[in-house]
Amino acid sequence: MLALMPRLRRFAVGLAGNPADGDDLCQMTIERALTNRSKWTEGTRLDSWTYRIMRNIWIDEGRKTTRRHETFVAEEAGAGVGGDGAQESAVELSNVDRAMQKLPEDQREAVLLVMVEGYAYKEAAEIVGCPVGTLNSRLVRGRDALMGMLGEAQ
Amino acid sequence: MSITREEIAAFADGQLSPEREAEVAAAVASDPALAEEVAKHRALKAMLQGHFAPIAEEPVPEHMAALLRPEPQPEVVDFAAAKERREEKRKLPSWGWVAGPALAASLAIAIFLPRGSDTPDGYADAQLASVLDQTLVAEQTGSADTRILLSFQNDDAEFCRAFSAPDGGGIACRDDKGWQLEALGEGSEAASTDYRMAGAGDADILAIAQELAQGPALDAEAERKAREAGWR
Repeated sequence: MLALMPRLRRFAVGLAGNPADGDDLCQMTIERALTNRSKWTEGTRLDSWTYRIMRNIWIDEGRKTTRRHETFVAEEAGAGVGGDGAQESAVELSNVDRAMQKLPEDQREAVLLVMVEGYAYKEAAEIVGCPVGTLNSRLVRGRDALMGMLGEAQ
Repeated sequence: MSITREEIAAFADGQLSPEREAEVAAAVASDPALAEEVAKHRALKAMLQGHFAPIAEEPVPEHMAALLRPEPQPEVVDFAAAKERREEKRKLPSWGWVAGPALAASLAIAIFLPRGSDTPDGYADAQLASVLDQTLVAEQTGSADTRILLSFQNDDAEFCRAFSAPDGGGIACRDDKGWQLEALGEGSEAASTDYRMAGAGDADILAIAQELAQGPALDAEAERKAREAGWR
């Protein structure tokens, strides 16, 4: 589990959209995993099981956090227009972060699981709890959207 | 052959079945537009991986790592350690009985371990040995600095003598190396007084002697015989 931590954090930050919320999500995931450790079946993949916990927490609770954060950033960015550098002290989101934040949740998690975490489609579908075909189509839509937003950046 | 967008992405990810992969690979090789699509998918993947990789390379925050460490169980550990210490004490062959709390309270353990010219550690020095060798309870004078309180035999049939001295009484048992000091008590006499009385120190020593003794204390006759035999 400890060896899994760096990857879990990466997934959490990707889902939540920023390191602070990501670490909160990661912390909640560890706590829930420890509480439910008896439900983990020996011999199955601990990483998939833990990713699924994280993903479910994010769906259940993370949305509010993310939404709050987006509102906060939007206001701050607006206030910073024409300001004297106040904007720079606000949370700076990179192009990739911004593009990821604009993806619908189902596409974002599919993109992260396959393209960042390196899961096979089948494994990613099991974590999300959907058919492989569904995951595949979410992934393609997510990719298309990202390529559209990041087209110039590439 | 029609190739869906899903299949192009899956091809770029290496997620197609082997048969289908061969077909798509052939199509991609012959169609520059498809090849560009595949390249875009791979570039996007590399970009995302590069973007998120630093997070996984950061050290895990301490408060998270701490959640995963085995919970400390101080009580269990302490009990185990304490038990070990107790057993360590019990293993000390000649001091185990000192652990009796009432005795331990009034005993100063190892006040002196004489290091004489040829006296092994833990044995009476020449001066004390001389008294232990020569003095009989019945003969000693009240003004002697070191007085024999009584003599007895221990479980190993060694002769032991409980003695009282200004700077610390005790019990010594005769083995083949000399008079081994088995217990040392506080001095039985305050430096300021001329009166020799059986003090608390003597009482403790006698109590210990009672525990060590196998049978009653030697009477005058038995003591004399023991001395003639060199206390062996």
